[in-house]
Amino acid sequence: MQLVLQIIANGLLIGGLYALLAVGLTLIFGVLRVVNFAHAEFMMLGMYGAYWLWALYGLDPYLSVFLVTPVIFLLGVAVDRLIVRRSIGKPDVTVVFATLGLSIFLQNAALTLWRADIRSVSTFATGSVFVVGGVRLSVAMTVSFAVALLFALALWIFLTRTMYGKGIQAVAQNRRAAALMGIDVKRAYMITYSVAVAAAGAMGVLVAPIFTIFPRVGQTQIVTIFVIVVLGGLGSVPGAVIAALLVGIIRSGAGFLFGTAWGELAYFAVFLLVLIVRPQGLFGRRGAEVYGG
Amino acid sequence: MKIVDSTPISPAAARITAAAVLVLLLLLPLFIRNIYWIDLGVTVLIWASLATAWNISGGFAGGLSLGHAAFFGVGAYTSTLLFLRLGITPWIGIFVGAVLAGLLGALLGVITFRLKGPFFVLATLAFGIVIHIINVNWRGLTRGAAGLLLPFRGGPQNMLFLNLWAYWYLALGLLVLTVGISAAIERSRLGYYLVALREDEDAARSLGVRVVRSKVVAAATSAALAACVGSVYAAFIQYIDPDSTTQFELSVQIALVAIVGGMGTTFGPVLGAAIVIPLGEILRARVGGGAALVVYGLLLMVIVLAAPNGAIAGVRLLVLRFRRLIQSRGATDA
Amino acid sequence: MLDVQNVTVDFVGLRAVDHASFTVEQGQIVGLIGPNGAGKTTLFNVVSGMIRPTSGSVLFEGKDLSRLGPADRNRLGIGRTFQVVKPFGGMTVLDNVVVGALTRGQSRSDARETARATLDRLRLGRFENTVARSLPLALRKRLEVARALATGPKLLLLDEIMGGLNPTEVNETLALIQELNSEGLTFLVIEHNMSAIMRIAEKVLVLNQGALLTEGPPAVITRDPQVISVYLGEPIEST
Ligand SMILES: Nc1ncnc2c1ncn2[C@@H]1O[C@H](COP(=O)(O)OP(=O)(O)OP(=O)(O)O)[C@@H](O)[C@H]1O
Ligand SMILES: [Mg+2]
Repeated sequence: MQLVLQIIANGLLIGGLYALLAVGLTLIFGVLRVVNFAHAEFMMLGMYGAYWLWALYGLDPYLSVFLVTPVIFLLGVAVDRLIVRRSIGKPDVTVVFATLGLSIFLQNAALTLWRADIRSVSTFATGSVFVVGGVRLSVAMTVSFAVALLFALALWIFLTRTMYGKGIQAVAQNRRAAALMGIDVKRAYMITYSVAVAAAGAMGVLVAPIFTIFPRVGQTQIVTIFVIVVLGGLGSVPGAVIAALLVGIIRSGAGFLFGTAWGELAYFAVFLLVLIVRPQGLFGRRGAEVYGG
Repeated sequence: MKIVDSTPISPAAARITAAAVLVLLLLLPLFIRNIYWIDLGVTVLIWASLATAWNISGGFAGGLSLGHAAFFGVGAYTSTLLFLRLGITPWIGIFVGAVLAGLLGALLGVITFRLKGPFFVLATLAFGIVIHIINVNWRGLTRGAAGLLLPFRGGPQNMLFLNLWAYWYLALGLLVLTVGISAAIERSRLGYYLVALREDEDAARSLGVRVVRSKVVAAATSAALAACVGSVYAAFIQYIDPDSTTQFELSVQIALVAIVGGMGTTFGPVLGAAIVIPLGEILRARVGGGAALVVYGLLLMVIVLAAPNGAIAGVRLLVLRFRRLIQSRGATDA
Repeated sequence: MLDVQNVTVDFVGLRAVDHASFTVEQGQIVGLIGPNGAGKTTLFNVVSGMIRPTSGSVLFEGKDLSRLGPADRNRLGIGRTFQVVKPFGGMTVLDNVVVGALTRGQSRSDARETARATLDRLRLGRFENTVARSLPLALRKRLEVARALATGPKLLLLDEIMGGLNPTEVNETLALIQELNSEGLTFLVIEHNMSAIMRIAEKVLVLNQGALLTEGPPAVITRDPQVISVYLGEPIEST
């Protein structure tokens, strides 16, 4: 029983962090109909941002997150201008491989600039745990989770309560109708992309004290994020949150149950199965998979 | 909109060019002595075959696969394991691998034919990762990350040669085979069906094109050829491990080579290999592996955004310009 | 020849076709009219196998088509065009049509000949090397017809191929339909151009809000008060 609680607690903490990444990816798909293969690279950049601000200026990630996130937002604006916007409405090969090319580019630019060395950030919270009802929780993980929650809340308010957010939702529903209603579709694309990658960057900063930092760290995470957004239904924000928590729990449980390697396999097999029999995802609405419609 | 006529480069001209290039490649050993260049040449040929194999389902049929390393790996491991465990020569193993990969490709085709755009891409990606995870973790069969070393036993009858040029001819033979099959498909009934399905699936079906059958045949052929390339690669490098055979990055590079060269055309993927592989090698040697991949990433973005028909479209344009130039000269002379 | 029995199609929150039944006899030209959104195209999609009806069945030459997909239905002899044209954009006009001829088992050279003959018939011959994507809309509509014809159908479903044509072009199209009909081809034609359809159809089906309102010869249909009320404001002439 204690073990089950422990698994669930760990899973929820890690799943909450994944959610910040997954919500952005699913939002980009829902609004722009683009699968952002470079999504996790913005997390990687966030991690390096946290690392350098900490290593050079001793800035704590829980503070630097408020510096790094806006910078990544601006990077998102540039990427949207230069790459993403130009791929919209083009053939599949352009839509898929433009962001894949960006991912290769960013990953290896980081490798060239900062070498393959594995780095880590330590904060006041590093290594300490606290115990609640017999369940041991990492302080770093819990604090990061709490800040991630804050960002998620801000994102939710932005989407549902602001004019920009409502415009974005209208575009996600139906581009053409939104354009007819006078919504600036291109601006909605730009804001969606930038906000989503900024959230990925924020997540990167928040996990910097927890995960090790290296140029290919995004690569190790992107597929997990794909699994999450597909399970949740590409384009569905609530689906992504639920699936992120679920995947967090499954991953923390799978290690105990069958050892990581075969757990990993089971989990990709499920992913493949869902794509094939229920491409709209476990919670997604039908029709989402009718891509391009 | 302007009415655009397609002025095809005449098949005869294309055939003559291809034959000339082939003769040149056959005679190349007379001119090159440097082992480094031979090695690079064999690598280019291998990549040209691999991208050509990918192009049959990815280019003609439009099924952008990010899991083709799986088939390459099945080929490499099948022929190698049969040789190591049962002493069966890779000359036979290569066919066993092709059949296995073909069946796997057909299976993947059957379960994914309905998926469109990114959903298809993600399914092939997941499939590739499943195969990679199996490869890394089924140590009893594949020895996992330790990899398999091909001992130098026997020589030519086991597809193992002392002379590097033998691999050159082996790889060239394979390329002639893959390009030949690709060209035959392009011109065949199946080729028309695949392109029709890629351009508009509903319209193709309404004209009597059977979707599953066409896509599955393409997927199986593509997978089987990729596996053949894997077997030849294993015989050439004589050491295989999961990172060099079934890794996701490899799947990406296969697609990249075909796209840069020009997907959906017979010679595009070959041209892609001739551009991308030497470029990568030179950059790797001069400025390092990371920088080489930075350039790959840039190249991929620029090509798909600015020239989605790839380098071959540029070549075609040049040829047509040149022809027009000659024609106008001829006209003024007369 | 074609027997549509009690077909209903439900989309999410909407009944697009509501228990429609009708027949088309061998050699007929039948018109299918109805206001926008009446369910005409959806009915075509059911007959051609693009979508499965919620209930009801379709028989072709006495054979139940329920289990057959669009490709197999086409191979039995049902050809169709799409209201929203679907050319194979990157292919040449000729190759578009060749695809249709190839599925009939013709060799590639025979298929090219069939395709050329078909293109000439639709006066698209001089566009054979044109990239289909770059054709003007009116010609792309004709390409739809050419491609379907090349499959050698027994029954051809035409979905609004005359929209946007000038009177001369309409006349040419009508003449072609009649000529093909005299060669034995059966037609089911969706058309908003009333006067055109009334001139060639032997029987007209009127669909309204998914249900078959009435059917009969053009002369009767144009005077039917029900039909007139459905089309209130749209003049119906039958010259
Ligand atoms: N795939 C679909 N999903 C949901 N609703 C659909 C779908 N296809 C058609 N509809 C709806 O079904 C109704 C009938 O559409 P249909 O296209 O059959 O009409 P139509 O008679 O061909 O109209 P028009 O004359 O404008 O072509 C419309 O309300 C349409 O919006
Ligand atoms: Mg319609």
